[in-house]
Amino acid sequence: MKISQKIITNLKSGGADFFLSVPCKLLANMITILENDKGIYYSAIPREEEGMGICAGAYLGNKLPCIMMQNTGIGNSVNSIVSLLQLYQIPVVFLISYRGTPGEPVGAQGGMAIITEDLLNTLRIPMLHCNTEEDLDKISTFTNHAKVIESPVAVLCNFNLMKDD
Amino acid sequence: MMNRFELLNLLQDSIQDELVVCNIGLPSQELYKINDRPNYFYMLGSMGLSSSIGLGLSLAVEKNVISIDGDGSVLMNMNTLATIGNRAPSNYTLLIIDNGSYGSTGDQKTFTNERTSLKDVAIGAGCHNVVECSGEETNENLQKALADKDNAYVIISKIKSGNVPIKPIPLNAVTIRDRFRKEIGLVPYL
Repeated sequence: MKISQKIITNLKSGGADFFLSVPCKLLANMITILENDKGIYYSAIPREEEGMGICAGAYLGNKLPCIMMQNTGIGNSVNSIVSLLQLYQIPVVFLISYRGTPGEPVGAQGGMAIITEDLLNTLRIPMLHCNTEEDLDKISTFTNHAKVIESPVAVLCNFNLMKDD
Repeated sequence: MMNRFELLNLLQDSIQDELVVCNIGLPSQELYKINDRPNYFYMLGSMGLSSSIGLGLSLAVEKNVISIDGDGSVLMNMNTLATIGNRAPSNYTLLIIDNGSYGSTGDQKTFTNERTSLKDVAIGAGCHNVVECSGEETNENLQKALADKDNAYVIISKIKSGNVPIKPIPLNAVTIRDRFRKEIGLVPYL
């Protein structure tokens, strides 16, 4: 819970005030924290691509949105990232549970993990890698950076950092 | 039966300062040609997401928000009807212009021409206040939805397919974004 709390605290201090999630076991504690937070908007949603649309609308209405999802969700959302978020220069923080990184027990997660960073590079999305608890301190500035550069950004939380939280 | 261009023309009687998110392709191009306004957000990409963009906007502002969508686009993003059914606030209206065809790509038929009822899908997804009506009845239902401060609505307007000759919208995306946000009161510099 300590890691999850720190991530949420940093996202909020960076300005994020509108949260969506497509669930992941590694995001479960963060979801619990957000469900009990009356100061922000939070909802679970069925699919990441529609989440990009909801986030875009929320930004038009002056929110700074964050969508929490597995790295697989990037694959589900490529066109909406390019033809909506980037086309209209809409900042959204992708808080990504980086499944398939070392420590991951599910072999099938490895495929998307191998291409995740190439995919984000191809999409020209700035990345923040969180491998240790100290890395989490950078999330606040990085969240604000999304708003400044009017672009989606990705925070990648690797498996071993999250698994025992 | 009327076509989409005729319906979008009629809708101008109901839309005042409401925030409108309009579907990609011909619907946005026709709306631009009929009556361009800064409170119209024209989608230039990301087919399927008009309903979702409007939902996110309605969760962030107090004003009435109308998502103008199409049957083909809703079929592409049907999961968002469940999100709307469970989360849409009362200032949200989804207006689905159901002409049974993918108008922007050459009027190929959609499944609403066969066995799929978007009304039944919306109800099954949890939406209340789901209305299916003719093009002629659309203004009356839209005005009712906008006046109701307690409920979100899904209106499915059944019209015939067909398009008018039209050009692409000569505005870039960030211009559309900024003048729309200025209308909401968020961009002081334009």
